[in-house]
Amino acid sequence: MAEKLYDIWARRNPSWEKRYEDSVIKAFSDYGKGVTSLGSAKGKLFGAGYEVFIIAYFIGLYNNQRRTLIEDSTKIKSFGQPIQYWGNIDSVKGRKAYPKLREFIFTSLIAKTDFDFIALDKGMISNKKAVDALMTTMEEYANWGFHFMEDKLIDNPNYFYRETAFLELFLSFDSSSAAVEDDDEPDSLD
Amino acid sequence: MKLKKIIIKNFRSYYGENCFELSDGLTLVIGDNGDGKTTFFEALEWLFDTSKENKSESNVSEMRKHELGIGDSDIVSVSVQFEHGGEREICKSFRFERQTNGNILTRDFSFVGYTQFGSERKRVDGKNLLEACFDTVVRRYCLFKGERELNVFDNNTALKTLVDTFSGIKQFDQYVENTEWFEQESDKLVTRELKKDKKQEDTVKRLEADMSRVMRDISDTTRDIKTKEKAVSDFESRIRVLEENQDACENLQTIKSRIDSKRTELNRMKLHVDLDYNALLLDDMWILRSFPSILQEYQSKVSMLSKEERRMQKAEDERIAVEKGKKEALKEIQKLANDATPLPWNLPDKETMQEMIDDEVCKVCGRPAPKGSEPYEFMVRKLNEYLEHIRQESAAAESKEMDVKPLFENEYVAELHTRGIQMSGDVEKTISKLATKIDDRLQFVQMRKNDVEKISQELQEAEDAKLQLLIQNPSLTEEMLDKTFHDYKGLSESSKRAELDLKDLQHKLSDLEELKASIKEEQNKIEPSNGIVKIYQRVHLTLERIMKAFGEARTANITSFLNMLENEANFYLKKLNAGDFRGVIRIIRTVDGSARIALYSSNGTPITNPGGAQKTTMYMSVLFAISKITTLKRDEDYPLIFDAPTSSFGEFKEDVFYNIIDQIDKQCVIFTKDLLNFDRESGTRKLDYSKINSLSCTVYRIHKQDGYDEEDLSTIRTITEKIK
Repeated sequence: MAEKLYDIWARRNPSWEKRYEDSVIKAFSDYGKGVTSLGSAKGKLFGAGYEVFIIAYFIGLYNNQRRTLIEDSTKIKSFGQPIQYWGNIDSVKGRKAYPKLREFIFTSLIAKTDFDFIALDKGMISNKKAVDALMTTMEEYANWGFHFMEDKLIDNPNYFYRETAFLELFLSFDSSSAAVEDDDEPDSLD
Repeated sequence: MKLKKIIIKNFRSYYGENCFELSDGLTLVIGDNGDGKTTFFEALEWLFDTSKENKSESNVSEMRKHELGIGDSDIVSVSVQFEHGGEREICKSFRFERQTNGNILTRDFSFVGYTQFGSERKRVDGKNLLEACFDTVVRRYCLFKGERELNVFDNNTALKTLVDTFSGIKQFDQYVENTEWFEQESDKLVTRELKKDKKQEDTVKRLEADMSRVMRDISDTTRDIKTKEKAVSDFESRIRVLEENQDACENLQTIKSRIDSKRTELNRMKLHVDLDYNALLLDDMWILRSFPSILQEYQSKVSMLSKEERRMQKAEDERIAVEKGKKEALKEIQKLANDATPLPWNLPDKETMQEMIDDEVCKVCGRPAPKGSEPYEFMVRKLNEYLEHIRQESAAAESKEMDVKPLFENEYVAELHTRGIQMSGDVEKTISKLATKIDDRLQFVQMRKNDVEKISQELQEAEDAKLQLLIQNPSLTEEMLDKTFHDYKGLSESSKRAELDLKDLQHKLSDLEELKASIKEEQNKIEPSNGIVKIYQRVHLTLERIMKAFGEARTANITSFLNMLENEANFYLKKLNAGDFRGVIRIIRTVDGSARIALYSSNGTPITNPGGAQKTTMYMSVLFAISKITTLKRDEDYPLIFDAPTSSFGEFKEDVFYNIIDQIDKQCVIFTKDLLNFDRESGTRKLDYSKINSLSCTVYRIHKQDGYDEEDLSTIRTITEKIK
């Protein structure tokens, strides 16, 4: 049986712009510390670098805002861990694993990526192209999220250091189940 | 002895000469903390100290010292003028001088006395005069510093000293000893003589052996009793100390258990409150709070794709069906007459068919088939059918591959669709309820935060209560109170056991005493054959009775002395506690010759933990009683001098107390900070004239001279002022 699209996707490693490495990723996580036990460096909000990426991704997703990555490939970087290992952290004290979240990220990518899946099934387009398209969506949402965080930090370096800062941000998004239409126009007041 | 005047010169804070004239009754010296009350008292202690020549520089007025230039000198002195069979004075002094190196040298210590004979004043040795008029033993019962020193029975020899000094029983002891000696000697003589009597020898020896065994047993038992009594008394005093602290101890335990439970509660609450919200976003997937719309978007997209694929597949299937239908129709046309089964399409072959058509004859049946006839047309049709079949076959072969290949070679949409189905139902429900779940959790956390705040406050209150309790009992530490709590039970049990043991021993001793008496009686009943021995025996009997009488008389004397002391003490207790509950003072003797003062209710219940004022008046009553007895025995009255005896009194008690002391016919000097009122305007404490005016006694006010530097001792000077 052919390999699943999800599995092909999960083997990939998203890219992100190097400019956020110090300003956002390292500021909030142990990324680059060479540690395997997450959260060992005190005062960090997150453990692995990909956790900051996830946060950034969802910020972009819920705002439905993408930002194309810089074209210069020398200014692009990716994590050491492919997506399939994200969230496997139940060995870390005080934390528990969240492997299911990967599936939700995948579903959101399918929902948000404009791609001819019929042509894919017909074999007219390769699955690599499909996964490329998903990764682009993922990277662009996260890129916007990183940009958003950096923006907040420029205004106030301690913006995210309140214990509920990120929580409050995610609480501010609409939690209803009505699909958000980009071109929704407000109802007439007449 | 009546004190007339006290003069203090350059003694610590008493700069220059300070004179106090004392009344025959009460003299109050009123001063606030640090004003010089205790210094005054210590000046007297220094004067009355006959043990050493103390000319310590620390007793020199700092202010005076500061003024001295190099080579200058002055004198520290304390003197007391008093009446004791005439006018007397004692004066202790030394000189202090600033040396060239700036240091202070003290020298020329002197302790002199003066006696007045008519108009002549005679200088005598100060120490001798003091001991003659106001000896060490009497002084022991005259000067008291603070409330603590009021208990004169706080050591084992106190009672003996008191009895020896004031009861006149001491002289009696010699008689008791003498009668005992006479009895022993006569007993020895009688025994020795009886042994010589052949008839009585065996009986005498047996009784002697019995007696020596009984005496040994008595001695052992007495020793055991002493040990046991000591143990009981130790237990009692320890229990008494514990009982005094019992309230504090119980309070502390209550507070501590409250603190413990609050701490546990607080820790439990904190577990609910201390959340890592960032971790929760990922670990508990709170980040999916706004995911429902996206999940829905996914579901509709995937469902639409799936539908589209199915639609396309259906169209394809239809096309294939149409192709298949065409073939079926062709077969229909080819049907033969009578529904006979036709030959296979390839029989006869193409060449044979062409030959038969060309020859216009059916070579299968041998009949002619001319052009235009039905058999000829059949053969032509059969050949065309053959050719068509070949063509179709080759076309089919060509399109064969296309027919086998499905429309969709991948099943990714199906994968996505399956995922969509898996995510509907429970997962979708969980995600859609996440927002409510998070809200509930945050609300719960907020409530617990309120709890934490409340509990923290209660914990702080309990901690404060503990601190306050310990501050109120400065002599107690937390460890002591904890120990008390745990010791009390064990001690009471041990004490009860020791008391039972003691009773047994006392029974045993009284049995032994009876045995001893019966042996004695038996000894006395022995009939000596010798007449002179009979006389010895009678003399011994007489001496034995005299000994017993003296022994009993001594005991009776001590008892009567203590009864008198008790009665006198209760007389003063009644006065000092007018209008208040007072109880009854008992002076309890212990086996080791010491005594303790205890307060009892008149129904015999001991008051185990009398209040501060109750205790102070109890001790003071005993002191007044001792002083009165002293006066009776010595025909001489002695003053009582107290430094701050009433620190545990309430304001009401103070008033009553001074009014009563004022009325008691006794010379008293009391240093106190009572009778001062806080003056809001000046922020200082001032004399309460309304109370002072109601007293008939002499009152002095001492206070620090204004304008002193709080950090410089040489600016401190006590100012004395006679108020009335």
